[in-house]
Formats: sequence, C-alpha cells, structure tokens
Amino acid sequence: MMRKRLLSGTLLLGAALLGPAQAAPGAWKGTITMYVQEYTPNWPDAAKPLKAFQQIADEYRKANPGIQIKFSTSPIPDNDTNVRVKAAAGELFDIYWAQSTSLNSTLPKGVAVDLAPVFAQPNPYIPGNKAWQDVMNKTQVAENRAPNGAVYVLSADNVAFTIFYNKDLFKKAGISKPPTSWPELIAVSKKLKAAGINPFHQVPAYPWWGNFFISDLYAKEFARLTRFDGLPGQSGLDEAVAIHKGILSPKDPRFMSWWPTFKQLTDTWPRDYLTLDASKNYDAFNQDFVGGKSAMIFEGSYSIRSLQDLGAKFAVGAFNFPALTKAQSPYATGTYVANSVGGNGSFQYAVSTPLANKTMREAGKSAAVLDWMRYFGTPKNVQRIIVENATYVPTWPGVNAPLSPSFDSTPFKQQATKPRLELNVGSAAPGLGWTDMQRIFGLYLSGNITLDQAKSQVQTLLDKSANEYARKNKVDFSNYK
Amino acid sequence: MPSRPLRRLREGWPAYLFVLPSVLLMAYFSYVPAYTAMTRAFTDWDGLNVPTFTGLENFQRALTDPVMGQAALNAGIWVVLGLVLAVLPPLLVAELIFNLRGQRRQYAWRSLFVVPVVVPSLVLLLMWGTFFRSDGLINTVLGSVGLGAWRHDWLSDPSTALYSLIFLGFPYIDVFFLLLLYAGLQNIAPEVFEAGKMDGAVGWRRVLYLDLPLLRPQLGLIALLSVIGNVQYFISPLVLTSGGPGYSTTVPALLMYNTATRNGEYGYAMAIAVLLMLVVVVLTGLSRLVARERA
Repeated sequence: MMRKRLLSGTLLLGAALLGPAQAAPGAWKGTITMYVQEYTPNWPDAAKPLKAFQQIADEYRKANPGIQIKFSTSPIPDNDTNVRVKAAAGELFDIYWAQSTSLNSTLPKGVAVDLAPVFAQPNPYIPGNKAWQDVMNKTQVAENRAPNGAVYVLSADNVAFTIFYNKDLFKKAGISKPPTSWPELIAVSKKLKAAGINPFHQVPAYPWWGNFFISDLYAKEFARLTRFDGLPGQSGLDEAVAIHKGILSPKDPRFMSWWPTFKQLTDTWPRDYLTLDASKNYDAFNQDFVGGKSAMIFEGSYSIRSLQDLGAKFAVGAFNFPALTKAQSPYATGTYVANSVGGNGSFQYAVSTPLANKTMREAGKSAAVLDWMRYFGTPKNVQRIIVENATYVPTWPGVNAPLSPSFDSTPFKQQATKPRLELNVGSAAPGLGWTDMQRIFGLYLSGNITLDQAKSQVQTLLDKSANEYARKNKVDFSNYK
Repeated sequence: MPSRPLRRLREGWPAYLFVLPSVLLMAYFSYVPAYTAMTRAFTDWDGLNVPTFTGLENFQRALTDPVMGQAALNAGIWVVLGLVLAVLPPLLVAELIFNLRGQRRQYAWRSLFVVPVVVPSLVLLLMWGTFFRSDGLINTVLGSVGLGAWRHDWLSDPSTALYSLIFLGFPYIDVFFLLLLYAGLQNIAPEVFEAGKMDGAVGWRRVLYLDLPLLRPQLGLIALLSVIGNVQYFISPLVLTSGGPGYSTTVPALLMYNTATRNGEYGYAMAIAVLLMLVVVVLTGLSRLVARERA
C-alpha cells in the first residue's frame, strides 16, 4: 500500500515537473481557476472593484476559445492553511497566490510546480524574448529560490514599507513636521506621549525593524553575505551559513547592538502589544491607528487602500526610516536602508501540481495553465495589473506603476531611487523570524529579560535553526568559505 | 449449537442494528483519526506527501525540547487551578440556588446562570482580552477604587500572563458543572436532610457532612472532565497571547497546534498529540483508582 502510494506520488510529481515542457497550448479545453489575492477582479465588497485581470483573461479567452478563466472572489484569511487543506483534498486552485517563503519551507513539497525550467524558456507573448526570466527581477527570482534550487512563484511586485502618521494628532501635540533622524523620531514619540497620545500601538515586528538595522550595520558585507549560494539576494542558505559562521549571530557585536537603541523607541509605546504575535494582532493595531489611538504605524504600501477602506477620517502622512549615524551605533554605516523592508507582495503566483489538484492530471491542462501564465506574465500585462491596484511596487525592469495618486507617495518614490539591500535572519527555519525571534525580542523590549539573557536565548535559537536547516536540506556548512 | 455470544447477537439483532450507524460514525470520526495520529507520530509527514518512518525521533524531540518542558509546567499549573475553578464556584452557586425558598426562585436563578451559554466563547475571550489591556476595564476599575498601584500589564508580563488566562471569565461558573451539582443536590432524598437536621447538620455543617459526601459521583465526574479538558485546552492562549510573552502561556496542546498549522510538521504534532493522550489516560486511570479506593 505504502509502495503504491509512493509510486503514484512520484509519478504525479514527475508529471507535474515534466508537464510544462510537453503538451502544446490549445490541446486542452476547460476552466482555469485562479486565486490572485489583492489583484482579484470583481471583488464583491470593493468600493471600486478592480477590472484589469478580468480584462486580460477576457482577451486570452477570445484568442483561445474553449478556455475559461475563473477568479476566486472568496476571502481567504489564512492562505497557508487554505493551501494545505485544499491540496490535501486535491482541490487546490490551478494558479494561486503564495509567498515563496511558505512554499520553500513550511508548505508541503509538491503543492507547486518548479517554474525555474519554464522561466528559462522563451515567453512567446513577449516579442523577441529568449528566456522569460530575462524580463524579471533577477534578485527577486534568486531570493525566491528554494534550497533545492526550485522557484515556485512568478513574482513581479514588492510591498514597500514606511511609517504612516496621523497629521491631526501630530498637530495636536505641537509637532509641525515628521522626523528625519532617529533622535528626532524618539523626540517626537516622547512629545506625543507627553501630550497623552500613543506614538505607536502595534507589535514591533522583529523581521521588519530588524531589516533596517541589520542591513545598515552589515552593509559593507552585503555582497559576501548574499552570495554563499552564488546568487544575488539573501536566501535561506545564505542566512544559515552566516548564522553558522557566527556573523548573523550574537557572537558578532553588531548583530544585537541595535536592540537597546530600538528599545528607546518602544519605551514610549504602551506595552499591550510588545510581547505579542504580529500576525494575530494585525487588525487590532490597524484599527487602533484608524481609530486615533496611536499617532504612527509602521506599515506596507497596501495600507494606502486599507486605511481608506477602514475609514480613516484624518489626513495621513508618511516618512521613511531615517539613516543611522555613529551617534546611534559605532557600527552604523549610514547606508540608505529605508527600502530594505518589504519583498514579495501580491503578484506571487504558483501553479499547482497534479498531486495537489486532481484536475491538473487532465492531459494538456498543465500546458494550458502555463500558457495562460505566460500570457498574463508579460511586462505589459504586469504593468496593467499593478498600476490599477496602485499599492504595490513593480519589480520588473522597465515596468512602472505609480502608487495611488490620492496619497502622498513621496516616501515610496524616494525608496525606489535607491539600491535595495536586505539582510536579516528569519527564513532558515520555520517560524524563526516571526515567532521565535519575535518572542525573545518582545521579552527584551518589554523589560522582562536583559540584553545578555536575550543574547543567550537568541544564540540557542539560531544554532537550532541553522542545524535544522542543514539537516533538512543536507547542507555541509564547511563547503562555504 | 451456536456459542453464547453468537446466540445473544442473534437474539438482540434489532438493538445492535440501531446502534450500528452510531458506532460506525464514531469509529470513522473518532477512532480512525486517533489511529492515524498514533501511526503517523512515528513519521516525518507534511500533511500531503507519503510519510517517512522516523521511529521514535519525534517523541525524543518532544521530550527533550525545553519549550515542551515549560509548556508541560504551564499545563500542570492550569490543570490544578482549573480543577479548583471547575469545582468551587459551581458548587457554591448550586448550593445557593438549591437553598433558595420556592421552586420559581430557584428556576429563575438557574436560568440566569444558564443564559450566558448562548454567548459564543470566542466573543467572551476577545472581550476579556480588552479587559486585560493597559487601558482596559480591570485597570480602570482598580484605578477608580483607589488601587491604582495594582494596575498591571496583565498579558504582557510573563509573571501574570498565565494566571490571567486561567482566571479569565469571572465568576467562573461552568453551566454544565453547575447543573450537574444542582441535579445531584435535588437527588438527595428530603428524609436524609431531615435526619441530618436532627443530628445538627445545618448550614455549613450540612454542606460538609451531607452534601459533599453525597455529591461525590458528580464531583468525581467534574474533576475528571476538568482535568481532561484542561490538559487538552489551548484556545485562550492561542487567541489572546499566542503562547507568549516568551513561552509563558504556551501549553503542549498549543505547541501541537502551531507545529501542525504553522510549521506544517504533522508527524511531530501527532507525536505531541499521542503524548497528551497518554497523559490523559494516566490521569483518568489515577482518578478512577482514587475514586474506587475512597468508595
């Protein structure tokens, strides 16, 4: 029984991997199902429903009679669980949104097709194209790579992060302009607190704030720390090797030197969320900001829409994380890191395998699904999709989609003009950044443990994570100099 | 001539036929998952692909994980304090209602305690989450009655977070336990109370020397259900603290849930589930043993 299942599983996975290169588009007729997250057209509750993806689908259908594209318009609160459950039932969408970090580490292997071979082939819908990946962002493709070399998502956008602020509350506290340096940010926070206004009221997410500081403090070693795998961008392997070498670890004096600096800021926050789980309390702290309970919120560009949807009745401004100076840390390099937080946004699409989606076993369907993906995955169509939503930043060279004109997007424009450096720890093991590190970070910021205790706990956690990575992915750290 | 069991089966076939659908459904929905958990606890399984046999690795990992140690300690505290909360408040209220004069009054008070059962438990949890906030009801009340020094960050302090969750839900009246005890009191024959009265068993003496010994079956059941329920419980840490600050409110059942749903490590999660099941079986056996010895 076990052998039979193993055999059928292997065959199905094999079919999934080989499928793309085999059947020609047009041999299959039917409906392709898609879940495209925030780019979903015709969303029932949207004030201004998006249309672009539907229009592109209609154009494709016109050219390929017999193929229907059906977008799921049901809300999915927990995407990873949804993928797991639907895949276990063999009913996953043909194309679906998923973050590469989930597909690379916590979601079961075999839920998504490896698109790397497809990316190396020409996309017939891009004139003169020799390899689809030529039009993509190379760093993003590399960052999305799984430890086994597979790339499970077609990525074309990023979330940009900034600090949004309530202009009315700033005015009320007598603050005339947003802060431009770290000491100014602290001073503004203290002034707000003195005026009875919470500066921030949210979970200080370690992976996000950590990116700013780590990327700055280690900026001079950026090239080395991102190339252990021979590719641009920091992958899980790069991270695990750097941890093992004691570079991204408390053994290096830079690694946690910023925690006391950051604590100066959180000491002005109410303690409610300091020790909690960022993902669980997401709605709560957004509501606190919209409800005027806090003056600032550190959030992604998607908030441009969500703050409007939640009914913010005040003028919203935004400013970027300031560059650090030697006054904050002797290790500060002054590098521009305001754009180091973000990464994959909503244009991250995977193709399901026949193991996760029974309909993909139909002869020719995999090829048809990939043909449709090639169709909407051209720079021209990517631009149409991203520009309509106007809350994500396109990553492909030459694709230009400005953020919402109803919002002062100057901070995001500033970020877009600078090279992006991103270094931190968070993906070498499941839950490393968002849960396990976040727990220690929260305990330190709330004053429940000392920095030395935190360092000891972090070291234990990182050792465990790197060893787990090496064991699961059969990595020999001694191979990396 | 058919054997005795066979003969019994043949004679009682209509009864067995009626029971069969329930037994089949129960087997499918209760025993099959339990069997799956027990077998897959020895594997590395992601919930989709074919599991790989790993022997006792998952159990070894669970038993040597320091987080599991902290979680087990938290669960132990929860079980002990939970037992007190499961028994004392419902017993007190059952006694109060039972000693009210007039059936109508008893009915009215009983109904008042039962009515809150219609409020979904998640709503209550979220409401209590707001009570525990730094600007929440508890701190506001403390401040307004001159106990401002007692104001506290209840859920963000590791030393109070676990107890805040355990003592969430004042006045701790579990309706099912209340009705069980009240029914137990009603079942005591009036003659017993009369005889007790003549022997001086009135007021607290009656509760101690008559009610409690005669309520032993109900109290035993409540204790058993409370222990089993609290060993498996993880909803309030999941909703309100995610097991934090640090791991101060993590319990093994929450660890199991997160391991499966967040990390996708179903084999390891099932090993934790099997360990929990063993704990429940041992505690159940012990409580039955104690009850039998006392009887």
